[in-house]
Amino acid sequence: MDFNVKQAKQWSRLGPRAVYGMAMLELMQKNERVYALSADLGVSSGLQRVMKAYPQRYLNTGIAEQNLIGVSAGLAKEGFVPFASSFAPFITLRCADQVRMNMGYMHLNMKTVALGSGVSMSSLGNSHYGNEDLAFMRSIPGMTILSPADCGQLTQAVYAATEWDGPVYIRLTGEPNMPIVYEESGVYEIGRANVLRKGKDVTLIATGSMVALALEAADTLKTKGIEAGVIDMHTLKPLDTGCLDDVCGLSKLLVTIEEHGKIGGLGSAVAEYVAQMDQRAPLLMFGIPDRYMKAGDYSYMLEQSGLTVEHIVSVVCDKLT
Amino acid sequence: MTNLEIYNKAFMETFEIEEDKLAGLNYQDIDAWDSVGHMALIAALEDAFDIMMDTDDIIDFSSYEKGKELLAKDDYGVEFQ
Repeated sequence: MDFNVKQAKQWSRLGPRAVYGMAMLELMQKNERVYALSADLGVSSGLQRVMKAYPQRYLNTGIAEQNLIGVSAGLAKEGFVPFASSFAPFITLRCADQVRMNMGYMHLNMKTVALGSGVSMSSLGNSHYGNEDLAFMRSIPGMTILSPADCGQLTQAVYAATEWDGPVYIRLTGEPNMPIVYEESGVYEIGRANVLRKGKDVTLIATGSMVALALEAADTLKTKGIEAGVIDMHTLKPLDTGCLDDVCGLSKLLVTIEEHGKIGGLGSAVAEYVAQMDQRAPLLMFGIPDRYMKAGDYSYMLEQSGLTVEHIVSVVCDKLT
Repeated sequence: MTNLEIYNKAFMETFEIEEDKLAGLNYQDIDAWDSVGHMALIAALEDAFDIMMDTDDIIDFSSYEKGKELLAKDDYGVEFQ
């Protein structure tokens, strides 16, 4: 799905859920095999217009996520392309065995979309945060995991997922007024990271909402005389190990930044790969800490997690000096 | 273009309606002005007038006429003649 500067700005304002709904509306107009499914979160998923325009291809299973995955699997078996969406913990952990069997073992061509991943569900609290979803989904053989950096890339991810043969998990982070990383549609290839900047001192490898933050951190590091590269790791599985091979030899320090727990996400994926290397730079991992935090608004939660430009820059500077 | 023409253009382009449908138009009067359409209109107006609307005003923006009233506030300073 191509987009321009004006659309990127509008979509940023709308936020990931509304843009997911818009992308699905256009996709379903073009592809009659695409279905949208929800577990009683159609409106929250931004699918209001889909529900109205395509009532025969929107299915609401009610608050029954295991059945949601089962129904999606049945559709996939019949050659349709189902997109099932819900909040991150509900579309992954609540229906874990159905995901494992239908998306994993049966390798069905179905797509699941996690809304409000990370801590963007803010005051709804820990029951709604998605801080462990990657740890689980990464462990499923054959799973493809996408984590768009902004609303524009989100539309590309939805379209790319449709064309991808096999199970896909799309993880949406951020909220309305999501910072823009890509002002215009550019290259988007599943499994191929986007190198946004090159830097010899440190490479910031980020995913989802943290890509914009990584770019800001790189700008701040530059004012301190530190050259920071930035990589948008928009596909978490399969990981672009070729990209890691390139940067490992160049940087004095690798940093991963994700709106996910420190265990099992992007940082772990990068660590698992670079651990095999004979020579590698040290790796710093930023993410949600391994504890349950008191709930608050989105910016508060990110601050509590150390996912701020100030904190990341401070730690990186300390490490490099 | 005058501010009124810019305002109307935002409505017409966002909702794909003709100018004669604008007077008296309220939120949810037409399919296009749903919650998604509302935010798209806000984004279009913010871009057109180079402003950032306050959340309370976004919520209060319930009609074509109300919108003009809100944008005319000192916070945004859009004058309609």
